[in-house]
Amino acid sequence: MATEAATGQTVSRPGIVSLGSVVRVAETIVGAVLLILILQWVLEFEIADPRLWSIYWRPFTDGIVGSLGYIALILPVSVLMGFFLGWARISRFRVLAWPVATYVDFFRGVPPLVIVIFASLIGPSLMPERFQSRTLGLTLAALALAFHSAAYQAEIFRAGFQSVHRGQLEAAQALGLKPLQAMRHVVLPQAFRLSLPPLGNELAVLIKDTSLLSAIGAIDIFGLSQDVQQQLIFTPGSDLRWLFIIWTAVALVYFVMTYAMTTILAYLERRVRVRGLETMSI
Amino acid sequence: MIRVVGVHKTFGPLHVLRGITLEVPKGEALVIIGPSGSGKSTLLRCINLLVEPDAGSVFIDGVHVNRPEVSAEWVRQQVGMVFQSFNLFTHLTALQNVMLGPVRVKGMEQEAARVKAKQLLARVGLAAKAEAYPAELSGGQQQRVAIARALAMDPKAMLFDEPTSALDPEYIREVLDVMTALAREGMTMIVVTHEMGFASNVASRIVFIDAGIVLEEGHPNQIFGNPQQERTRTFVSKILR
Ligand SMILES: Nc1ncnc2c1ncn2[C@@H]1O[C@H](COP(=O)(O)OP(=O)(O)O)[C@@H](O)[C@H]1O
Ligand SMILES: [Mg+2]
Repeated sequence: MATEAATGQTVSRPGIVSLGSVVRVAETIVGAVLLILILQWVLEFEIADPRLWSIYWRPFTDGIVGSLGYIALILPVSVLMGFFLGWARISRFRVLAWPVATYVDFFRGVPPLVIVIFASLIGPSLMPERFQSRTLGLTLAALALAFHSAAYQAEIFRAGFQSVHRGQLEAAQALGLKPLQAMRHVVLPQAFRLSLPPLGNELAVLIKDTSLLSAIGAIDIFGLSQDVQQQLIFTPGSDLRWLFIIWTAVALVYFVMTYAMTTILAYLERRVRVRGLETMSI
Repeated sequence: MIRVVGVHKTFGPLHVLRGITLEVPKGEALVIIGPSGSGKSTLLRCINLLVEPDAGSVFIDGVHVNRPEVSAEWVRQQVGMVFQSFNLFTHLTALQNVMLGPVRVKGMEQEAARVKAKQLLARVGLAAKAEAYPAELSGGQQQRVAIARALAMDPKAMLFDEPTSALDPEYIREVLDVMTALAREGMTMIVVTHEMGFASNVASRIVFIDAGIVLEEGHPNQIFGNPQQERTRTFVSKILR
């Protein structure tokens, strides 16, 4: 860029794939493979056992697709809700702030499993006739999980907003920016930058919490694997060590999903990094 | 250019401004001095409506601005403001800080805004720091970028709220130099500062504010050399030392 040449400074904007991130991913894959090899050796099983996979392949892939489907619904809903609830909590309009505080306290105080069961039992009876269907309870339970996570995310975004110094907003106003412009161009980018690390944490928890939906019969990787486990126990000729394979595979699926998510967030974090404001290393 | 008439402001039980009246003709630099907590910042913030006056009127270029029909955003485009704590946008480079107002408020093209921002940074002696982030700049450099950022809106007047109070001594000079040059070029300014050298050289008048009223007002020679009020005398002797 001409400006860089003119000032003699380099502006480092990491590309989508930097060498560092490739190395990190490689390290993780090597680590996971090693762990599986050790598990296989200690517990004496063979992860690629063809007899098990002839039974388990279908439920395994169906389960992954099902889990991804729930995540695709829950994740965006929860982030959007969490963001606007967090904003409402710091709003100039106090009438918005206290219902959100109640909302947050409520969802933080109830275990997600209870919320899932509650939503699937009570939810459908609260909905009008034309929405009724076989999967309504499940959909409502998935949304309830999103609402639950949104409560935590609201607190994350609120903390992000509040850590932006109020002088920043005043400087934006003093330039003549309208409130929404000041939000969009000054407050939000800074709040977002500060919210990303805890947000990544919460989203990893959320991805794993989708396994709770199996308690009410969701078609997901956790539920289908559990079904196969039940089935194997009563199948003559089945090998008990197959259970090790199944749950190693399930653990791997959740690991890959959360790892992909945290990698995306780590990329976003690098994108919004500000020179001079990096965390220090001790 | 700027006229303040009988302005009052209370915060809860605190009556901070108790009927302030002052006038700054076009091209003049007015310096405000006064003890901490006397309402100097509040007065400046009433002028660009960061704070809404409870009573009284503020006129900018003849327009009565503290009325519901006048948009605060419009008023703030007319008067630039420089803060004690700089308040540069931490996530933007020096250049982007200066470009933000023209692009977002005035709808200027990116390229035109970039050219203009570079000129302004050169004017405050920071052409080489265009791509630096605030955290990479010294306090004096940050404050000079903040001045360039305010000037980018082509304001009719500038408000400075203790622009050098947060600076290490070695950086005060460079900021005052920029402000002095600005005054010499005919910018209308109101400056809250206790830099006596600057006040004597640049100010056409000095206003002493105490407990929310204008206690005394006059030429720098008079305020510093021969203050009429006992309170002014005590205060001036403290800052002259
Ligand atoms: N937004 C506010 N809310 C409540 N009190 C305020 C606010 N702004 C200023 N004050 C109070 O008003 C008084 C005058 O403040 P200020 O104008 O900042 O004085 P100065 O700039 O002369 O030191 C102080 O006592 C301060 O605490
Ligand atoms: Mg002040």
